[in-house]
Parts: sequence; C-alpha cells; structure tokens
Amino acid sequence: MSEHETESAGGSHGVDAAPGDEESVGEGIRNYLIGLGLAAVLTIASFWVVSGTPLLYAPGIPMALAALAIAQMGVHLVFFLHLTTGPDNMNNSLALALGVLIVGIVIAGSLWIMYHMNMNMGIMPASDM
Amino acid sequence: MLGKLSWSAIPFSQPIPMAASALMIVGIIVLLAWLTFKGHWRYLWDEWFTSVDHKRIGVMYCVLALVMLIRGFTDALMMRSQQALAFHSAGYLPPEHYDQVFTAHGTIMIFFVAMTFVIGLMNFAVPLQLGVRDVAFPTLNSVSLWLNAAAILLINMSLVIGEFGRAGWLAFPPLSELKYSPGVGIDYYLWALQISGIGTLLTGVNFVTTILKIRAPGMTLMRMPIFCWTSLASSLLMVAAFPILTATFAMLLLDRYLGFHFFTDTAGGNSMMYMNLIWAWGHPEVYILILPAFGVFSEVISTFSGKPLFGYRSMVIATMAICILSFLVWLHHFFTMGAGADVNAFFGIMSMIIAVPTGVKIFNWLFTLWGGRVRFEEPLLWALAFMITFAIGGMTGVLLAVPPADFVLHNSLFLVAHFHNVVIGGVLFGAFAGYSYWFPKAFGFRLDPRTGKAAFWCWLIGFYVAFMPLYIVGLEGMTRRMQHYDVAEWHPWLIVAAVGAGIIACGIAFQIAQLVVSIRNRDKLRDLTGDPWDGRTLEWITFSPPPHFNFAVMPNVTGAEAYWGIKQKAIQQRRLMDLPDYQPIEMPRNSPTGFIAAFFAVVTGFALIWHIWWMVIVGLVGAFGTFIGFAWRNRYEYELPAAELAHIDDERRRARIALVEGREKGIHAVGYSATKAHGSRKVGWIEEPHGGHLGPATKRIITGYGFWIFLLSDFILFAGFYAAYAVLAHATAGGPTAIKLFDLKILAIETACLLLSSFACGLASIASNARNMLWTQIGYAITGLLGVAFIGLEVSEFAKMIAMDAGPTRSAFLSAFFALVGLHGVHVTIGLIWLATMMGQFWAKGFRPDILRRGLCFALFWHALDIIWVGIFTNVYLLGISP
Repeated sequence: MSEHETESAGGSHGVDAAPGDEESVGEGIRNYLIGLGLAAVLTIASFWVVSGTPLLYAPGIPMALAALAIAQMGVHLVFFLHLTTGPDNMNNSLALALGVLIVGIVIAGSLWIMYHMNMNMGIMPASDM
Repeated sequence: MLGKLSWSAIPFSQPIPMAASALMIVGIIVLLAWLTFKGHWRYLWDEWFTSVDHKRIGVMYCVLALVMLIRGFTDALMMRSQQALAFHSAGYLPPEHYDQVFTAHGTIMIFFVAMTFVIGLMNFAVPLQLGVRDVAFPTLNSVSLWLNAAAILLINMSLVIGEFGRAGWLAFPPLSELKYSPGVGIDYYLWALQISGIGTLLTGVNFVTTILKIRAPGMTLMRMPIFCWTSLASSLLMVAAFPILTATFAMLLLDRYLGFHFFTDTAGGNSMMYMNLIWAWGHPEVYILILPAFGVFSEVISTFSGKPLFGYRSMVIATMAICILSFLVWLHHFFTMGAGADVNAFFGIMSMIIAVPTGVKIFNWLFTLWGGRVRFEEPLLWALAFMITFAIGGMTGVLLAVPPADFVLHNSLFLVAHFHNVVIGGVLFGAFAGYSYWFPKAFGFRLDPRTGKAAFWCWLIGFYVAFMPLYIVGLEGMTRRMQHYDVAEWHPWLIVAAVGAGIIACGIAFQIAQLVVSIRNRDKLRDLTGDPWDGRTLEWITFSPPPHFNFAVMPNVTGAEAYWGIKQKAIQQRRLMDLPDYQPIEMPRNSPTGFIAAFFAVVTGFALIWHIWWMVIVGLVGAFGTFIGFAWRNRYEYELPAAELAHIDDERRRARIALVEGREKGIHAVGYSATKAHGSRKVGWIEEPHGGHLGPATKRIITGYGFWIFLLSDFILFAGFYAAYAVLAHATAGGPTAIKLFDLKILAIETACLLLSSFACGLASIASNARNMLWTQIGYAITGLLGVAFIGLEVSEFAKMIAMDAGPTRSAFLSAFFALVGLHGVHVTIGLIWLATMMGQFWAKGFRPDILRRGLCFALFWHALDIIWVGIFTNVYLLGISP
C-alpha cells in the first residue's frame, strides 16, 4: 500500500493540522510536563478552596471552583491536546468554540428555565418536600 | 430465558394490527421469494448491502424513506378517518390503538421519513457537488445507513410482537414512565430511536468532516453550492443536537429500567426537565430537516430559472444564522409550562427573530426567479408550491411564537396544522423536489413528467384541503390527539380534512405510478448527456448514473457555479477542456461491517426491549467483534489504473461534445470570465491536486478532525447529564446530601490517577510518533493501569454508597449523580477496552499509518475524558461538599 511513507503532521501540505498533533519529541515532552505541573497546581488549588480555609469569602467558593475548573480545562486543551490559535488549528478551534457555545446554552438555559419555573409555580426545593 | 416475551405478546385479539401485520409479513415473504427466485441476492449483497459508495447509500436511504412514508401515511389515513367518524361515537379505533397510531405516525414521519429522506439526498448529492469521490469515512457511512435500517426494523416489529408507545411522538413523562406505561411500547420507541440516533450522529460527523476537509481543487467555502452549505449547517446541528436527545432518552431509560428518579415526579424527580431537554434537541431537529430542503430549493430554483442564485452570500449568512439561532428558541414549545414572563418573552422574541433569515431566503428565491427563463418542470413546481405554503406556515408560526397567543393555541389542532404546514410544505416538498431533480442523475433516466405533475397537484390540493380545516377547528378549541368528540361544529371540518387525506393518497398513488411508468419508458426518458436540466453544479459534469468513482479527474474549480463556468467556456470556445493527465486512484473496498453491526444492533435492541439479558450480551459482544474485525483488516482500498479511467472518461467526453454542440444554438452563452483560481491554499482545507491517493498525512488530518467533531458531540452528551444534575442537585427528597456522601481522599486519588494516566498517554503518543515500540507499549500500559485503578476506586465508592442506602433509586439528586459520574466511568471502561485492542494492534502490525491514526484518536479521547473529569470533580464533588 502507498501508505508506508513517513507520516508528518501538516507536512508538505502545511495548511492544516490534525487536532492533538505535536511538533517534536523534545517539545512534546516539555509540553506534557508543563501541562502536568499546571494541572496539578490547579487541582490542588481546587481542593484547597473547599478545605474551609478562612482566607476565602465563603459565598464566593462556587465561583472560584468554576473559574479553576475552566482554567484547568484550558491547560489540558493547550498542553495535552495541543490546541493553538494558529492558522493550522483554525478548524479545530472553531469546532471547539461551537461545542463550548452549545454546552453553555444547554447548561445555562436549563438552569435559567427550570429555576424560573420553580419560582413562578411556587414549587419548593424538593429537599423540603 | 425469554424475559418478558411470550405468546401473549402477539396481538391475536386485535383485528386491525393483526391484519396489518399479516399483510406486512406476506408482503415481505413475497418479496424475499421473488428475490430468491430471480437470484438477485448475490447482486444485492455485493452491489448494495455492502456498498460504501455514497450514491448507493443515498439511494437506499431514499428507498427506506419512501417505504416508511407509506407506513406513516397509512397511520395518517386511520387517524383522519377515525376523527371523521368519531362524532358522538367511538369510531372504529379503540383508544389504546388510536394512541399507538398517532405515536407511530409522528415518530415514523419525523425520524424515518423526513430525516431519512433528507440524509439520503445529502448522501447522494453532497460529494458530487463538492467534486470529490466519496465522503470522509465511507464505511462509517454504511454503518449509519444500516443502524437507521435496524431502527426501522424494530419499529415495524412492534406491530407484530408486542405494541408501540402510546405517549405521543416525544414520549413525555410521567406518562411514559414505567408506572403509567408498563408495556414494551415505550421501550420499542426508546431503543429504536437510540439506535437511529447513533446513526444520525455518525452521519453528522461524516458530513461535517467531508464538507470542511475534502473538496475539489479550487472549491473554496464561498464557491460551494448552497446545498452543501445547508448540508453543513444541518450536519453541525446533528452533531450538536443529537447528543441531547441521546442523553434525555438515556435518562428516561434509566428511570424505566433501573428505577432512577429523573422524571418520575417522585423522590425529587422532575418531569418538566424532560420537556426542557427534549426540546433543546427538538427545535434544532426541525432545522436539521428544513435546511437541506432549503438547499434543494435553492439549487432547483436557480437551475430552472437559468440564473445564478440571487444573494448567494446572504443565503450563506442566513443559513449559518439559523444554525446558531435554532439553539435559542426551544422554550417556545412549552410556553404554557409555567416559566415567568421574562423567560417567555426572551424565547418568544428569539422565535420571531429566527423568521428573519428565513424571510431573507424567500426573497432571494423570488429574485432568482424574477427575470429568469423559468421552466416549469416538476422540481420547480414543488419549489413554487413550497414558497407559498411555507410562507403561510411561517406566519402561523410567528403567531404561535407570541406567548399570550400560544396560551390559547397550545396543543390545539391549530398547532398540528402549523407544523404540518411547514413540515409537509417545507421538508417533504423539498424531498420530492430533490427526488425528481436528482433522479435522472442517480438512474440515468428522467421521471415521467405527466404522472409527476398529477402527483404534485394531488399533494398540493390534498394538503390544503386536509390541513386548512384543522386551523379552523383548532381556533374553535379542538385539542390534538382526540379519539372521539361531541362538538357538532367540528364534525364537517374533520370530514373535509379526511377528504384531503384521500386526495393526498391519490398523490402517493400517482407517485408509485410515476415510478412504474418511468421505468417502463426509460429508453424514451434516457439522459444521455449527464446534464438533463442544464445544471450549474458539479454533479452534472459526470455521467448519469455517475461511475462509482464519480470523476475520472477532480474538476478544477475556478469560480462560483463551477460547472456552469466550465460549460459556458466550452460553448464559447466550441471545445472541451484539454485531455487531462489521468492518474490512478484509490477507492475504498466494500464492507459488510455496517450490515453486520446493524444486525447485532437489532439483536441487542430487541433483547433490551424484552429483558432477555443473555441476548443483550450476545448482541453487544457481536457488535464489538464486528468492529474488531473491521479494525483488524489489512486491505481496505483498491487501485483503479489510469488507463481504465481514461477509457471510461473518453465515453463521457464524447457525450459532452454532443452536449456542447447541441447547446450552442439554443442557449446564448453568457459572458464568463475565467478568473484564475485564487485562495485555493486557504487555511483549513486540504488540497490534493490529483485527489487519487490521499497521503497518510492528509488521512491523519481527516481522521483526527472527524474524531474531534465526535468528541464535541460527546461533550454535549455530558452537558445534557450535567444540566440534569445541576437542576436536580438539591432534590434530595429527605435522603442523604452530598456533604455526607463524598469522600475527599478517594476523590483526590481518583483525580491523580486520571491526570497521571493522561500524562502517560501523552508520552505514549510521542513514543509512537517516534516509532519506539518499547516506550509506546510501556506508556500505554501505565495509562491503562492508572485507568483500571480509577475505575476500581469508582466502583468501590459506588458500592459503598449503595450499601449506605444512598443508591440512585433513593432520590433525584442521587440518580443524576450516579448517571453523570457513571457515564464518565463507562467512557473510561470503553477507553480501556479500546486501549487493550489498540496495544495488540501496535504489537501485531507495528507503526502502520492507520493504527497510528487510531492512536491519535485514542489520545484525544483519553485527554477529553480527563477534561470532563475536571468538570466533574470540581463542580460535582467539590461544590457538593463546599461549606
């Protein structure tokens, strides 16, 4: 089969890259190490946030958790999935943007709709039922 | 041994279903006997059932859709005659049967007629219009088709064995919950739609990848025919919306099979969450159907007006605007459920806004017709009828989008008339327009115009006679789905509506007659040039029917309306393009994978419906084995030599010379500037000048991108489950709360395991790209061991919770928790099985490009699971125990 040539991401085409493809061995390992370090720091930060530390304003904890989660997802996308904003990654990032938009619409929309419905219909939270 | 299945499942006591199933069985036996007698099996198996050719797959989709149209229309006739008779009487259909009829009608018409037809047309036309040889993943395409066929088989089995759902086409709980629908009807409905939903999702992935990644040289996005644009929008919606449906149905199935409390309205469950989720799929769904129909109309109107489409760019923008806006209107399906004024106002306004791009399209079509040389052939008749009918349906739609008006009209026959107005007038007329437009391309002869026009007029008049009365009775207060009634004012209108259904029946009879007459007169209707309609897009440059490789050389696109430009140049210069340099090309081999996978899907689905657990295992193992067999194959392509291509193409060129000479007198050649191709190296799209052999780098990009799109749909699946969790998180029904259940220490170890395994997987992919077998296997082995540790911890955590009487059946909160985290666990388990087989492949076959591609997909999958876990451990676990 003609497929037994060297396989290079981008290669002679130079117009596009597969999602997740990295450049070289050294750069690849460096990226994964940076990613692992950052992810570990953010994970520990998330656990610390809920540890009951007096340094944090308690009602702000959900927001802090959400922010840390989004930051860590970003770290994974950049350092593990090698997503960049470069031109060869445009299609990959645009597809991800659509996914994020729909995920956001579904979650935020559902919460908004159901919360309003419960308020408007005078439904008690089910834990009190 | 046989679960719930026994002889009592066959409805011997009910004459109507018995007669219908007897008729169906006799029909199938006659068909099978005829095929055996004529010895067609070999041909069918080799040329059709195992075919991965997008054109044949498209034709098979359309055949399925036409057969199911007759089934669904029979249900419609039964309903209309029942309502015409059931004034002050019980009619002839008992309520439990009538309920099954309207449920089956809606389900079949949307999923197995409209969806199937639209996907069939996309399959047939999109690769031809893009100037390519097949879709991105041909075998996957065949899997999609056969999964759809499997679902159709299950739906029709319910007629003979057991019963069908009685809870309407969207199976709203609590009626569809086990307590109120203990029979197998809802299970037939749910499993059939889950199977067809997977097929549809894969089609979406396939077409997004095809349209964005493989097009003819010079075919930039803004040079694509509008049908390709609308197919792209529709495929994006399939990828984005269908996971929500899968998630919603999965939750209802968990309620029914394992006693969860998502929608039960007991123990904190909330049936309104089902309405919310199902319509978050349901509204994009109608645009999945209508957008390709808009594309067909654009092609047809432009071709039969002899003019380029007016406002191409505005058409593209309108299409993509609809694609996004369709996700922001879903609440208008349940204005009356009790949300406040501001929520209703927002979704009402969004619903009216979405009418704007649609209006833009209507005007574009009008201006395309204006000043054109309009030829009133059958496809254009459907398009013109559509424009008028759809405008009426759209206006009643805007009326329903006004929340106060909706409070009056909700669930009335006015609504039924509205959506039939847009679905028949839009989707079905579009499908028929596409059917008559592309039929000569698919089979090499045109459809008989006389019977076609008779069918058209019957459908059009029948539609108005059948549905305008429903608007009136709707305004008079008649609700939908009534088995009998006693309001005298409604009765005459319902008789008129039944007459309308009868006229439509004549239309369908004429369509069958048209097919028979056309096949008999095929020599007179033969299309010798490949361009019977004076077309403008690339499908008309090749033979009718096209050879399985579509194009001997990839067309070189130098402007919008690729084929029109080439044709005009040929007419002006009185000669064809220079003889091209033929190169050998690679074509995918046929594969029975789709057929066999679908067989096991039927086995699994049937076993799940009837609770035959051993058969479920047989089905799943069989399906897994099929995919292993597919993944293990060594040869999946074959080469067509250049000489053969040159020989075949020579025949085409002779036909085209005749066309050019024949056209020169009649049609005035429009001034055409052969601008040099520019921007053909634009970002994000692969150019293969010869297009014959796609190199491994190109294939890697295509496969990686396709899998990336699939992963996005997976994220949306999780979003559906997370939305349910977020809404139900406080519905503990007096049971244990998160803070008492979640164990921080186990969570920390689980998180560390997954993070480290993601890292190990990354190192393994680096090693595999550097062709180092030892480190590849070590990396994957560590990945797998950490994954196993994660699953072990999760299982023990779940077991501990269930032992503490905090299982998923305890409260809605726990149902949502177990489903969300369990779904992630199922993903990890699937990943581990995949990893094990892939390690075996690397070991047995070395670093072959197709296995390296699989490694890339696995890495994407595994990293994505870690990303999802980040969301879960923070926003489920940590948020749950935060003070």
